[in-house]
Amino acid sequence: MHFLYFDPGLGAMIIQAVVAAVAGVILFSKGLMYKIKTLLGFSKNQEENMYDDIEIKDQDSENKQ
Amino acid sequence: MVDNSKHASSFRDPSGYIFTEEGVIKRTIFPIYFKQYNALTSAGFFDSLFKNKLLIPHKEVANSEDKIVIQPENIPFITYPYEWSFNMYKEAALLTLKLQKYSLEKGFSLKDATAFNITFHDGKAIFIDTLSFDFYQENTPWRAYKQFITHFLGPLVLAHYHGAQSLKLMSNFIDGIPIKMLASMLPFKTKMNPFLYANIHLLAKFEDKHNEDYKGESKASVLSEKGQLNIIQSLYDYIKKLTLKEHSEWGNYYDKINYSNDAFVQKSAIINKWIVNLNTKTLIDVGGNDGTFVRKIDTDLKQALVCDIDNNAVDFNYKAIRENKESFITPFVLDVLNPSAAIGFQNKERDSFINRMKDFAPDVTLALAVIHHMSLSGNVTFEMSAQFFASFSKHLVIEFPKRKDSWVQRLLNSKVDFKEHFDWYSLENFEAAYTTYFEVIEKKPIANSERVMYLLKPKDVK
Repeated sequence: MHFLYFDPGLGAMIIQAVVAAVAGVILFSKGLMYKIKTLLGFSKNQEENMYDDIEIKDQDSENKQ
Repeated sequence: MVDNSKHASSFRDPSGYIFTEEGVIKRTIFPIYFKQYNALTSAGFFDSLFKNKLLIPHKEVANSEDKIVIQPENIPFITYPYEWSFNMYKEAALLTLKLQKYSLEKGFSLKDATAFNITFHDGKAIFIDTLSFDFYQENTPWRAYKQFITHFLGPLVLAHYHGAQSLKLMSNFIDGIPIKMLASMLPFKTKMNPFLYANIHLLAKFEDKHNEDYKGESKASVLSEKGQLNIIQSLYDYIKKLTLKEHSEWGNYYDKINYSNDAFVQKSAIINKWIVNLNTKTLIDVGGNDGTFVRKIDTDLKQALVCDIDNNAVDFNYKAIRENKESFITPFVLDVLNPSAAIGFQNKERDSFINRMKDFAPDVTLALAVIHHMSLSGNVTFEMSAQFFASFSKHLVIEFPKRKDSWVQRLLNSKVDFKEHFDWYSLENFEAAYTTYFEVIEKKPIANSERVMYLLKPKDVK
């Protein structure tokens, strides 16, 4: 792989499967907690939204703040 | 920067390199990267990122069989990761993750995730390593993952537990904070957190184990795209929620200092008048705290650098910039008594603060309420501070607090037995030293205060 001009770390490559599994569980349980809270009527904490979400819009419109 | 020379930091990626031609920064792309470059261009990938202001826009200036040359938009002043405040650093981390997710969705992937791929421009973080995008190989893990941990997650988590000062480690560990060191510096309770355990502690264990066994086999494991996206999303969620715990000694700064309201207004008016009269377009406010004075300036500035030693003040400034959508202020953390040094190979890869200032050459340098700290906390003589400011200022607006000023008294009293050493701190000595390097254009005491404003111009401006 000729672009591999730095060592990505063998350990780091192997471990990503584990990290992904953990991430999957975290994201699933967060989603679940959110649904439960909404069902029980707890309002979601609106933290100050200084940072937007991870999506990048494809359209010509300006990036949201 | 010397003309027509290859930039000292651009040598690792075989895809191309950055060079300067007659003072303009350009990037050469080698045939080895043509496929990627053409795919990214024709798919509208670059355009989309330009429109969203997430990647520095470029235009093609030459296209031949053996090289393509592009010219990125000029960034007048670069700040490095070790100069960012905590929230600026967060934004840079989140930007990297955003780009990786977007890349995956379009069939690409980031080759590297170094914090030096990003800088701040027009009021927000922007990606500057245009050649960092490669084709995504189905079901392979992210090669830049470890680099993301050592450059972004690691420093941010350290800052959360140990204070924003931890971010300065990046000036020594220019390839990211080593994983083992990171793991050992975090409190034990982080091992109980599944996210931190997996991304840092477990990673450290695996790195250790495989470093010894390394026989040159690349036995990378398999990771689905969905799996990788899960990693990216969980990193994004975690980092987005990270906060600092500390208070700043500069909180309520403008209450603690001894200005009557009139004095404050008068000082602003004096500064404003001088700046407007000089047709100032660019300036630096050294010790500018949260940017209050810069925002009080009437004229339309092209760019204002505002630096301060206190992370919280810079963060406050940065938050205001994002809320007000200001694009002319560039905030960063800087200790004027120890400004960023030149580092990297041959100490040329990342330029020193002073060199960058000489290149940027702002029309005006503001040194408001900072000289007494340099002199009394830093023990820097007037001669030395005058020389420092003269080395990069076209005009200097400096505020001198006289001995009777309450902050000066506070600093002097804290010296106890050593107080007499500072008998040299006086208006007369200040003027004597500074007039060696500067001519005084105007001098105005602020009424109802012990402070005097000076407008100075360096003698023999080279």
